[in-house]
Amino acid sequence: MPSPEFCLGLRTLYIIPSRFGMVWLATAALLLLVAIQTSSNSTFLIAFLLLGLMFLAMFLTHDNLQGIKLRCGESSPGFAAEPIHYLLVLDSPTPRQRLQLRFQGQLPHQLDHLEAGETRVVLSWTPGQRGWQVPPRLLLDCVAPLGLFICWTRWQPPKPQLIWPARRRGPVQDSSPHRLRDGLDEWNDLRPLRPGERQALVDWAGVAKGRPLQVKLFRDPGDAERMLSPSAGLPWDEALEHLAERIWQLHHRGERYGLKLRGRTLAPASGIRHRDACLALLALA
Amino acid sequence: MTHIVLLVQCLGLNLSAPLSWPTWVLVICSMLKRRESRRAVDYRLVALLQLLSTGLLAAQMEGLLASGLQLITVILALSGLLAHELGGVVSWAALLRRSLQLLLAALPLALVLFLFVPRVAPLWSTDLGPRGGAVSGLSPEMDPLSIGQLARSDAPAARVTLDEEERLNSNSYWRVLVHEQFDGRSWRHEDPPFPPRSGRGGPLSAGPSQWWRVEPSAIRMVPWDGAAQPVSTDQWISSEGELLMASSPRRPRSYRLQQGLSSVGWQQQQPQPRDRALPLPPDHLPRLQALGRTWRDQPKDVDRLAAAEAWFRSQPFRYSLAPGAFVDLDAFLFDQQVGFCGHYAGALAALMRAADVPSRVVSGYQGGRLVRPLGGSPYLDLRQSDAHAWVEVWLTGQGWKRVDPTRWAGSGQPSDPSIDAVVSAQAGPVPWWRWLQLQWWGLDLAWTRWWLGFDQATQAAWLQALFGEQLRWAGLVAVVLAAIAVGVGLMLSRGGWPGFHRDPLQRSLRLLKRFGVKAMPGESFPALCRRAGGLRPELALEFQAMAEAQQQLDHALLGRRQRQYQRKLWRQSRARLMVSASRSGRSARS
Repeated sequence: MPSPEFCLGLRTLYIIPSRFGMVWLATAALLLLVAIQTSSNSTFLIAFLLLGLMFLAMFLTHDNLQGIKLRCGESSPGFAAEPIHYLLVLDSPTPRQRLQLRFQGQLPHQLDHLEAGETRVVLSWTPGQRGWQVPPRLLLDCVAPLGLFICWTRWQPPKPQLIWPARRRGPVQDSSPHRLRDGLDEWNDLRPLRPGERQALVDWAGVAKGRPLQVKLFRDPGDAERMLSPSAGLPWDEALEHLAERIWQLHHRGERYGLKLRGRTLAPASGIRHRDACLALLALA
Repeated sequence: MTHIVLLVQCLGLNLSAPLSWPTWVLVICSMLKRRESRRAVDYRLVALLQLLSTGLLAAQMEGLLASGLQLITVILALSGLLAHELGGVVSWAALLRRSLQLLLAALPLALVLFLFVPRVAPLWSTDLGPRGGAVSGLSPEMDPLSIGQLARSDAPAARVTLDEEERLNSNSYWRVLVHEQFDGRSWRHEDPPFPPRSGRGGPLSAGPSQWWRVEPSAIRMVPWDGAAQPVSTDQWISSEGELLMASSPRRPRSYRLQQGLSSVGWQQQQPQPRDRALPLPPDHLPRLQALGRTWRDQPKDVDRLAAAEAWFRSQPFRYSLAPGAFVDLDAFLFDQQVGFCGHYAGALAALMRAADVPSRVVSGYQGGRLVRPLGGSPYLDLRQSDAHAWVEVWLTGQGWKRVDPTRWAGSGQPSDPSIDAVVSAQAGPVPWWRWLQLQWWGLDLAWTRWWLGFDQATQAAWLQALFGEQLRWAGLVAVVLAAIAVGVGLMLSRGGWPGFHRDPLQRSLRLLKRFGVKAMPGESFPALCRRAGGLRPELALEFQAMAEAQQQLDHALLGRRQRQYQRKLWRQSRARLMVSASRSGRSARS
């Protein structure tokens, strides 16, 4: 279900002179003073042109944001306490000049030029907690075309993103249950496609979802097969964080592992889907 | 580029002007700042420094050439500002177009402010003009020799143009300085005190105007015809009939005079005791004093003046710019009898004072060349070689009356070969470079008349003429006009973003939207056009032609001519499709 749209208009946009705009205004005042003292028509006109440009810039800067529609895209899950990506979709009927987007308290992302139509923007933010989390408020601002005014809007993206527990090294309860072998038909990682590689290895399902061309990596799962559960005697969240780290490592080693958590069990397996299922279980536990 | 234009203008500054140093400092600061700029705020600051420098330059250099360079600087500075905001997305040509577009958009509001914001007189008396620098022209002390040297100089002095062209007369006298102090050898000028601000400027009238442009000089007095009145409050007429300017004389100045309704007061100003006295001991200039005293027998001052004229005409005086050295005026009047205007004027004024008739020497310009440029109005070009001196005598019942004794000497014809050469050089055909200079000055004067003529007084007269008794509505009208100007400006500035809207793909996509065909994700433009052709088979060929031309324009490596050709093809097919789209729209509405 598509998330609700946020349309930038008169009720949602705010505009004030930027610091440069205040300096610009002071310069115009200084030139007016010089023009009065020297009775110079040309200086009068330049001072009035500066004022005229400032007045126009107010409307042009506002125009640069007005009419843009924002909505949330499908974002992948990520670990808490690490920068993760959140997908936003900007829909603009006309081309726009330089914009800046950032989540409150996070690094800004600059768009030098926004073409007409839909544009996907990936913003990063660092969640503090696991579970379904919404990112901080989005701040979209621009000073174009002259930098004299700053126009901005704030929006709380409504669509939550699944956040796995933060990764932390530590003890987990690790047992080796009855081994199951699923063969080599499961891939456990992806990497960018290199020229000349077989097309059959490409993750076409991911391409269809809008991801770049990537190659599936297959590894022999080997003999290792573990069943993980939280270490006893540790705070719950800390135990989950240890499990998240262990799952990540086992996944990268290509090992098979299962997870037992509060009565729910995921049978040992390997691959991205299994890893994501385990981490999701940790996130929502 | 912007800095080069700024530096070229700075080279023309007079460094003795207080404003010239801040201007230089600002230009150099902006150059240095530009070198080390890395952040957006730095680039913006550079552009603002450039605009501020241009404003200060405009206050010091008002000519047509300087104004043109200032306009270029403003456009370039604005382009620099936009270039940073766009992050190199568009070309320089597109940037310049956008700057011009923005400037044109801001111009209506700027003009409304320019015309309606009430001009005020300078808030405090500060001379921001130069205090030194190369000057030429008349000197406050009229040593006869100085005018003789000036008459050999062909340097420009002033240019004047009038509302009534027929009044431009190359025989007119243009007064500058009044020399009332005589020390037995030279006539000195005494600076009149500054009048209070309320005493400056004459009553406004609708009389014809004179526009003057004068070269830098060492004195505050500027040429005028002795009859008009200044319209600016930084100009006033002294009781001796001198036109003074409050601004610095050491830079080119422009001003407007207007024919007053009332008679000019200075001509009826009673002579001071100093105008009457000849403060010389009896043994100094004895022959001059004796001759003057003989005319005291005449009962009327008019008769004494007539006697002096008769005496001059009876003597074998000759005009020469190189008369040789004189011991004193006695030697000139009674021994050598060869001299030029300075000698004749100085001698007659001294004789008249000896005859108890108040008199003084006036220096200024007489003559000049009437120039009819290809562009602009006819004007009188006054050179330093047109410098002249004459006498004013006080005649009871008539006031101060101009008398030119040089005309009494040898029928007023110069007999010196050197001055003949100057005169013939002015009268004969002009060399090409001088012709070009005269044409340029014509344009410059037209600019002065049109642009610099709009001053505080003109604004007041203009508002008075526009609103009459309803002047209180001027503010409301100004606000309404400002709102309209902002609307026009917004229309102009939103009217097109040249770099983007000229893009054939975007324009074609907008056209296709009018047919109800929108691009789907992943669909190429040719595929989109094929789909549109499927929906409107009668236009399929046009859609295909537009797609092919767009593909060529956007992706092919084309020469200039090929690009023009493809652009023409694209325009033609788009125009035909637009006609079809309009027809479809009309039929759908009906």
